[in-house]
Formats: sequence, C-alpha cells, structure tokens
Amino acid sequence: MYYYIVNPAAGRSQVKGLQDKIRGRLDQLGIRGEWAKTTGPGEASKMAAAAATKGHTTVVAVGGDNTVNEVINGLIGQENVAIGIIPLGTTNRLATQLGISSWQQASEVLAARRLTSYSLIAAGQKYFLSTLTLGFETDLDKNIDTAPANLQARLGQLRAGWGHARNYQTLHCRIEVDGQFELECNLFSLAIANQKFLNPLADNQLIVTLSDHPGHRLRLGNYLWQMLHNRAVPTPEDGATTRFLASRVVIETKPTTGIMVDGKVTSRTPIAIRLTDQSVRFITEKIVGDFKDAIGPKP
Amino acid sequence: MARKDDLLGISGIETVIGAGVVVHGNLTSEGDILIDGILKGDIKTAGDVTIGVNGRIKANLTALNVTVAGELDGSIIADGEVTIRETGRVTGDVTAAGLAIASGGVFSGRSISQKPRGSNHSQAEDQEA
Repeated sequence: MYYYIVNPAAGRSQVKGLQDKIRGRLDQLGIRGEWAKTTGPGEASKMAAAAATKGHTTVVAVGGDNTVNEVINGLIGQENVAIGIIPLGTTNRLATQLGISSWQQASEVLAARRLTSYSLIAAGQKYFLSTLTLGFETDLDKNIDTAPANLQARLGQLRAGWGHARNYQTLHCRIEVDGQFELECNLFSLAIANQKFLNPLADNQLIVTLSDHPGHRLRLGNYLWQMLHNRAVPTPEDGATTRFLASRVVIETKPTTGIMVDGKVTSRTPIAIRLTDQSVRFITEKIVGDFKDAIGPKP
Repeated sequence: MARKDDLLGISGIETVIGAGVVVHGNLTSEGDILIDGILKGDIKTAGDVTIGVNGRIKANLTALNVTVAGELDGSIIADGEVTIRETGRVTGDVTAAGLAIASGGVFSGRSISQKPRGSNHSQAEDQEA
C-alpha cells in the first residue's frame, strides 16, 4: 500500500498545480494510495513513522530534498518500508542521483518498484543518505540565490559565485580517518557521500572528496556551473583533489564552519560522520551504463 | 536511468592524496592509491601505488605495482613491477618481480627479485645500488 507525503510548499508550490495530473497517472499505473499533506517543517518525519506503524510498505515523498530527508529520518529502523520520490522541490539532488528527473518518470519508477538498499550516514545525531558538504559550497549557499527564476538571474548567480570563489578564504582542516590515519590540509570544499549512492554496484562506504583550492579559471567556471545548474556536488579533479574511502571520519576546521546535508545547513564542525548499520530501501530507476571506472572493489 | 557520471569526481583510483595534504598514519586499501602530498606512515594495498612528482613519502610500502615520480624513504614490497621515474628518488630496499629506473631516477638501497604472485615463490638478492 502506497502512502504519499506531499509537501505543498515544495518547489515554489508547484505541487498544487500538478497534483491532479500526478494522481491521475498513479491511478492509471495502479499505484493509487493514501495522500497526506505536510503543514510545516519536521512533519514529514512524523507522518512517515505513523504510516509505517499503520502498516504501509511504501512511503513516497512528494517534494524536494528536505521532504525526502524528513521521510528518511522518520523511517529509521523500518527496513521493511520502501521509500519512493516524486521530485517536485527546488532542489532534487537525491532524486537526480537515483536517476529520477521528473514526476512522470518517477511515476513509472514507482510502479516498477525496483528496490535498492543503502546504508545511512550519521552526521552527529542526524541521518542522511546522499551528500554532506562543507566549505565553499556551504558558504556560497548562504550568499546567493540558489534557485534563479530565469537565464539572466542564472548568469548573475554565476558571476556572484565566481567572485565569491576568488575571495573565499580556505579553512584549515584536520580529519581523523577510521582511527588509522590523520590528514591535515587547507580546505576549499569537502563532500561526503555513500559511494553506493553514486555507484549502485559498489559497497556501502563513505567516499570523502576534498579540494584545497578552487583550481584554475576554466575548471572553476565548470565547477560553479555544475554546482549551480545541476545542484550536484562536483569537485574539481586535479592536483588539488584528495579522495578516500572510510567508515568514520572526524572533521575539525579552523575557523569552525557550517555543514550542509543535501542542501540544508544542519550543524557545525567539529563533527563525527559515520556509516551506520541502519539502511533504507529506495525505489530506484534501473541501473544502466557501465560503472567500470567507479572506485571500490569490483562487483 | 541511474547516472554514471561522477558527482564526486570518481575515477578508477580509490585513494588520492592531493599535493597540499599531509597524512600521518597507515593507509590501507583494496584499490589503487595515488599520493601527491606528504605521508608519514605505512601503506598497504592490493592495488597499485603511484607517488606523484610532489609526493614526499616516509613509509614502508606493500602493493602490487609501484611507480615513484616523487620521493620515497622506506622499503617497497611489490608483487609486480617497481618503476622509478625521471624525477623519482627511492631510499630503501625494493623487493619486487621487476625494477625499472628511468634516466635521472635515483635508487639507493638493495634490490631483491621476487617472482610474481602465482609462480613458485623464491627470492634472490640481485644487487646493491
């Protein structure tokens, strides 16, 4: 039984105009379910937990990354419940990374019900699935409009991002990795994700990628464009890049800085981040293409 | 469809230590390692290790194949080949199936030949450079 949790404010309230179409399509696909609307922050977590208690086996977040993360946090320990996404938020990184780019496609994916299990990552007391960032991107998010309405605004956003990158003061960073080694560097940007989320064929493990400076002009421009346009988390891949796998990292920075989880600042350094034994099952698009270049032991 | 492009800069190498990074401790991995920074500690992997031109390593190193374009102070045990590039400098013993030193590369230590994994394991001390 499907349970749809709708955030009516998501994506500048675009849900309102699409709800009838979406419900019609879901009916056609035979996955009609119960619909419930959130009325404020944190409510999607409670609704998801209540849905699991009532016996729903599928909970679908209809909204953006915040809504999905709330649903995830409401279903910790409920491994028999599958999570689906209909991406209608301002930022839809999670859906994008699961290969879902529109509500139409999401409907088909939900009907096909292909399940992939992912271990959750804990950052302090908060659980998340996709990506944690700190450094430049987190700082940038506070300073510019992250959802420009048109091309002109997007170009303005790119200009602002460029200026911000050139003036950004790197942080001094120390990272303890699995109690085995310690790493010190200047930090421009850092991202942590479950590598399985990037490559479904890989094992669950933290992949930590950091960069100690923004790189040359062309690379920086490309980096900004990707980050602002796709809302993904690129990292310039050159001599400035450091990348490794881990199960647990403890990050300290000077000065202390904010940490952003899937586009939302949630806490500050110092912080311990670990891969947990809690997992969630996501309804995902089928895996296509080859992942032969992906890191980690070959499947 | 699931995306295959690398949101976090994925490429084939599992561990990359960039030029501005200092690492203290032991690096253990199942995959390939590229180090262009500074490392003090030991390195053990089932994959290949490459020390870039900026790499300054003080470590004992166990790997499949090893390429050194920077500086390594420590011993190497490799199931395959060890290559010291033009800019490379190794101070320590090398135990490997093969050792190649490019013109300009510096090796100071003993070279002990070892048959590749899968063949009858025997060792013979070749030379002292």
